[in-house]
Amino acid sequence: MRIQINSDIRSTDPGGNRDDNTDNVLIHVVEGLVALREDTSVGPMLASKVDTSADGLTYTFTLRDGVKFQNGAVLTADDVVWSWQRYLKPNSGWRCLPEFDGKGMTKVLAVEAPTPKTVVFKIERPSALFLTMMARPDCGGAAILHRSSLGADGQWKEPVGTGPYKIKEWKRGQYIELTRFDGYSARPEARDGLTGGKKAEIENLRFVVIPDSAAAKAALYSGGIDAFISPSPADVVEMRGRSDVRVDTTPVMTMVALLLQTTDPLLKDVRIRRALALALDTPEIAKTVTEGLSAVNNSVVPSSSPFYSAVQAGGYKRDIAGAKKLLAEAGYRGQPIKLVANKRYEALYSAAVLVQAMASEAGINVELEVLDWATQLDRYTKGQYQSMAFIYSARIDPSLNYEMVSGDKAAQPRKVWDNPAAQTRLTESMVSRDKARRQVLFDEMHKQMLQDVPMVVLFNASDATAMRKSVTGFKGWAPAKPRFWNVRLDARG
Amino acid sequence: MLAYLLRRIAMTAPTLLLVSIAVFTLMRLIPGDPVQLMLGEGADPAQLELARQQMGLDQPLVTQYFVWLRQALTGDLGVSTTNGLAVLPLIWERFHVSAVIVLTAVALASLIAVPAGLVAAWRKDRPTDLAIIGAATLMLSVPSFWLGLLLLMFFGQYLHWLPVVGYVPMSEDFSQGLLYVILPIVTLVLVETGVLTRMSRASTIEVLRLEYVTHARAKGVPESQVLRRHVLPNAFNPTLTMIGLILGHLLSGIAVLETVFTLPGLGRLMIDSIFARDYPVLQGCLLFTACIYVVINLIVDMCYPLFDPRVSVQ
Repeated sequence: MRIQINSDIRSTDPGGNRDDNTDNVLIHVVEGLVALREDTSVGPMLASKVDTSADGLTYTFTLRDGVKFQNGAVLTADDVVWSWQRYLKPNSGWRCLPEFDGKGMTKVLAVEAPTPKTVVFKIERPSALFLTMMARPDCGGAAILHRSSLGADGQWKEPVGTGPYKIKEWKRGQYIELTRFDGYSARPEARDGLTGGKKAEIENLRFVVIPDSAAAKAALYSGGIDAFISPSPADVVEMRGRSDVRVDTTPVMTMVALLLQTTDPLLKDVRIRRALALALDTPEIAKTVTEGLSAVNNSVVPSSSPFYSAVQAGGYKRDIAGAKKLLAEAGYRGQPIKLVANKRYEALYSAAVLVQAMASEAGINVELEVLDWATQLDRYTKGQYQSMAFIYSARIDPSLNYEMVSGDKAAQPRKVWDNPAAQTRLTESMVSRDKARRQVLFDEMHKQMLQDVPMVVLFNASDATAMRKSVTGFKGWAPAKPRFWNVRLDARG
Repeated sequence: MLAYLLRRIAMTAPTLLLVSIAVFTLMRLIPGDPVQLMLGEGADPAQLELARQQMGLDQPLVTQYFVWLRQALTGDLGVSTTNGLAVLPLIWERFHVSAVIVLTAVALASLIAVPAGLVAAWRKDRPTDLAIIGAATLMLSVPSFWLGLLLLMFFGQYLHWLPVVGYVPMSEDFSQGLLYVILPIVTLVLVETGVLTRMSRASTIEVLRLEYVTHARAKGVPESQVLRRHVLPNAFNPTLTMIGLILGHLLSGIAVLETVFTLPGLGRLMIDSIFARDYPVLQGCLLFTACIYVVINLIVDMCYPLFDPRVSVQ
């Protein structure tokens, strides 16, 4: 089966030198102790069960029987200890190291293997997100690797994991091909997110690098590829009219938002920020930009999250008169507001154009500044913007969603929302293991953000995967990680 | 001749040095942090700093430049910040792909364009000239990416004659490899034939106006001989210069076509490196490109005397 990816993977080191394409390929090759379920909660993967001590400081993982690495070796607790010791080295380059070395969420004090089937993690302070962080796909799922993944010199070679596929060939710039791991030990349950039963129905998966979407579309129509990941909404509309192609669309957790710089001399006045929010018809923006694939969501909590409540569904309602009144009170006299966007992510540019048009109806003078993505990301990181149409990659827990936007701007200029009360709630949400309490905290934060307007969340994207009709069994899901196990490819016509 | 060559090669050293300084400085002036791009929008500041240290990007710019230059002089262009691969082998591998397509296309385009330009000039302002110049103008006016996409959709998507995506080196499987490069080569031939035909026609018209052509005709030399022996050699040098420029330009990156046809060539490598702010790869590519221009100019200069004995290497 040939699957399009829009750029080559960066490396084969899970959670190391990575990007979305890298994660998408490697989830087929490696697995961690736990993994995300379909509803983005965390379930056991290589572990058969996870026990947490009452004080939340000790996690005991019991390993499943009969799990083999792709080199034939049987998984033991020592392999887990070895993998984690490698991740926790200060220069490991592991993306999620700060969450486990004490700089962020918590600190792993020890990883021990009291028996060949048991691994014990001791952490410094309790965290509601310890298992979630382990399961994050961008952390490589904290994959458990065999030590032969490294060469004799200690340098990275290639992953020897436990997943249903192993790497067959990587032709850089062209494709990476995976082949079925015949010794794979599947979980007994049904497929469930990145955990549950996985069956490699297709012998070889070839992820082909096709950067140009028009070429990818032509390749799909001609049968040159079998799956096209993330076609544009306009292409989705076209593809739905074809008899030889099927499109799977799923709401995902990627968030598109309009960021407003609260330290800007003009936008520090909350009345102007609120006026801008009231000037926007956010449901219409979501509908137009995504060709109707996504609905509006003014909350930082993704609409596919289990924490998306009725409170979260509340948002801004367009009120031009109200916006004009606020602007008059603030003494706004048509000063231009620069809105940064880019064309790499079409949704951002389209959203920015609509924001400009809608804001002008309320008398707000928005000027577009179109940059390339690298430059925009640089300006975002340094906080050097008045307003910006921005896209956040999927986070799998609302605490992480709020964490990515809120914090001390003086210390981290990329943070959008600098509200001490929100920060206190966020900290509590990261420690509390009481689901009801967390829901209250998230709802309070949402209501507070609607008041403060440091950003206007517009929508969560919908992810599409277009496939030839010969592909069956594919199902997209909220974290936007396409999975090709339990997928069949019938004989091509 | 040897002294001349050595002198020409020696003269390229300061050019390359200036190119290296310009490239290095310009790259660092462009906003955008390769480490931030690599780690994403939510990356931890401490981790960003660690990655910068590991890539040597925390050093002062002057230090970074001299480290790079010292390595470059020994043939080591560093490693990619994107995927950790050595830059020089990466460039060389990608250059092979571009070179096969470009050299074939330019050779074919020259074989078509030079005689076509000659005939058009000879039949100036007549229907043949108008037809040739009309076709040439049309060809050079069509954007290569659009033409490429059109060919790809027609021959790949509708007729299923040729593969739409992928690449197989001809050194691995000649017949299979050929199928993958036909469309990019045809696209380039069509576009570049237009440019070269116009150039060939213009320079031929210049030569046809010269007295020795009139003299030869007055002596009763058959028209075919006039064209072959007196006009063509003298009219070819400006076209040769143009061929050299086109070669240099295309070899240094047919990025758009490589993107359309998903070819892993040098142009795509450069584009990807710009978007990823992969400094070592981009610096290496641009230095390599400068070398290509130098070498091609040298070859073109050496070819002049073959067509026009008046040009002396002395």
